Amino acid sequence: MSVVGSVVGFMIQTLAVSSIYILVAIGLSITLGTLKFVNFAHAAMYLAGVYIGLGIALELQFSGDIARSIGLGNVGLDLGFLAALAIIPIITFGLGLLMERFVARPFYDRPDTDQILVTFGILLIVQELIRAFVGGRSLTFSRPAWAEGAISLGPLGTYASWRLAIIGITSVLVLAVYLYIEYTDVGLAVRAGTEDTEMVNLLGVRATRPFLVIFGVGSGLAGAAGVVGGPVFSVVPEVGVGVLVPAFLVVVVGGVGSIVGSVVGGLLIGAVEVGLVMNAPTWSSVGIYALAAVVLLVRPAGLMGAVEVDE
Amino acid sequence: MLLETKGLTKRFGELTAVDEVNLQIQEGDSLSVIGPNGAGKSTTVNLITGLLNPTEGKVLYRGEDITGQEPHEIVQQGLSKSFQTASIFPDLTVERNAVVASLGAEHGSFSLNFLRRLGNYDDVLERAEQTMRDMGLYEQRHVEAKSLPYGDKRRLEMALALASDPDLLFLDEPTAGMSPDETDDTVDLIERIKEERGVTIVLIEHDMEIIFRVSDRIAVLNRGAKIADGTPDEIQGDPDVQEAYLGGVEI
Repeated sequence: MSVVGSVVGFMIQTLAVSSIYILVAIGLSITLGTLKFVNFAHAAMYLAGVYIGLGIALELQFSGDIARSIGLGNVGLDLGFLAALAIIPIITFGLGLLMERFVARPFYDRPDTDQILVTFGILLIVQELIRAFVGGRSLTFSRPAWAEGAISLGPLGTYASWRLAIIGITSVLVLAVYLYIEYTDVGLAVRAGTEDTEMVNLLGVRATRPFLVIFGVGSGLAGAAGVVGGPVFSVVPEVGVGVLVPAFLVVVVGGVGSIVGSVVGGLLIGAVEVGLVMNAPTWSSVGIYALAAVVLLVRPAGLMGAVEVDE
Repeated sequence: MLLETKGLTKRFGELTAVDEVNLQIQEGDSLSVIGPNGAGKSTTVNLITGLLNPTEGKVLYRGEDITGQEPHEIVQQGLSKSFQTASIFPDLTVERNAVVASLGAEHGSFSLNFLRRLGNYDDVLERAEQTMRDMGLYEQRHVEAKSLPYGDKRRLEMALALASDPDLLFLDEPTAGMSPDETDDTVDLIERIKEERGVTIVLIEHDMEIIFRVSDRIAVLNRGAKIADGTPDEIQGDPDVQEAYLGGVEI
């Protein structure tokens, strides 16, 4: 393979991995920025995206102990991948609104440690519920037929269509959310609220609703990440924790409350991970922690962050 | 009567920060609240603007009880406050800062307009623009707030308080940290706001020169209690004030 080809190949693989981290990280980042809420349960939205998405796109086999004892069989709408991609963000947006109301809101004024314990606990509960009903074994989330095979990009080489599809879908979603935040009243309240929530209130803007909406939007993106990530990462109950860690590092690297920061952080984390997986696989997870540690040492607020993480 | 407090009291544990303070503010009549450090000036304002809830007492705005309302509700009624420390949104442009503040006054509750494009409310944009022009910040509207020089930051801060088009504006040490020139400009600005917009101003200040230039009436607090209230001339001659506030030194 030519040098250009291998560089482009590396970039495309990085973009594909980064895409999923970015989609999960944006919600984490915005919630931390606006509501100062550390929401590890955010990864439950990814799980919802994977498992409900599988049920919508194809078929979900219930083979966990509880499902067997009550005789629950297979449930599948078989509507295809695109239908899942369209429906899941709406479902997870709704789940996000519920989560804000019943999980997040009672804990806004509590210390970060309480928030972490509760939200991580919820993530584990969701994970174990999935194990009890669906089962712990790895399921297959097949790629849609239209994304099988490879596409030739002329002199740049030939690449898996699926990776290009992931990159395209993520770009559209991230751009839409970016424009929403940049050009609407809700978005302005969110951005101002990220900088100084109390001040927004004192100016007569009731930011609760914009914050709620953006919580839902973040959840919607994490759900979409589950649909996109299902065929990439394995479909097991632990995959929620599996994407949570890199997504959280993306927020640390990129800076809290910034979409551009999440994108930059996601690309860096993705590049380090892919680079190490290709050349020194055993070091890949060490590498992303090391990157996050270095960024925190040099720029405590992250690359694009307005506020420091501990604020 | 535009604003009235009746027996306003705030206790933090054993400490009585504000002790049965009664203030009366007539429309168009600017009041300065003075007193030594720790006299309870800022706490009093925070009780009025809803940042703190009083332990006892009432706040009446145009005769209506607004005690214990949320800060955003109080702002929407026409009370606004500019702060001691630079309270602006540093990463937003001057223009966006002004728009956020204008949004507050009328459309700040976000009922059902989640997808509304920024700038669909003409009145919000108009008011933001007018405020920027009034405060001499219009030329810098595309500059990020954090890149403004110190004096301009303080003016932007005042602009934010003004953008909600208040009837009553609290200014908490608006010239703190300013150079003599900047202080002079700011006092001119306050006088202009008073005249052109007809805003009633409550000023918290240490600088006697500013107080005597701007205020129609002065209220003096000491250890949380009001010890005097009157015109600048009356206050100047008041022996209690000289004793408590100036340690007996002639003003």
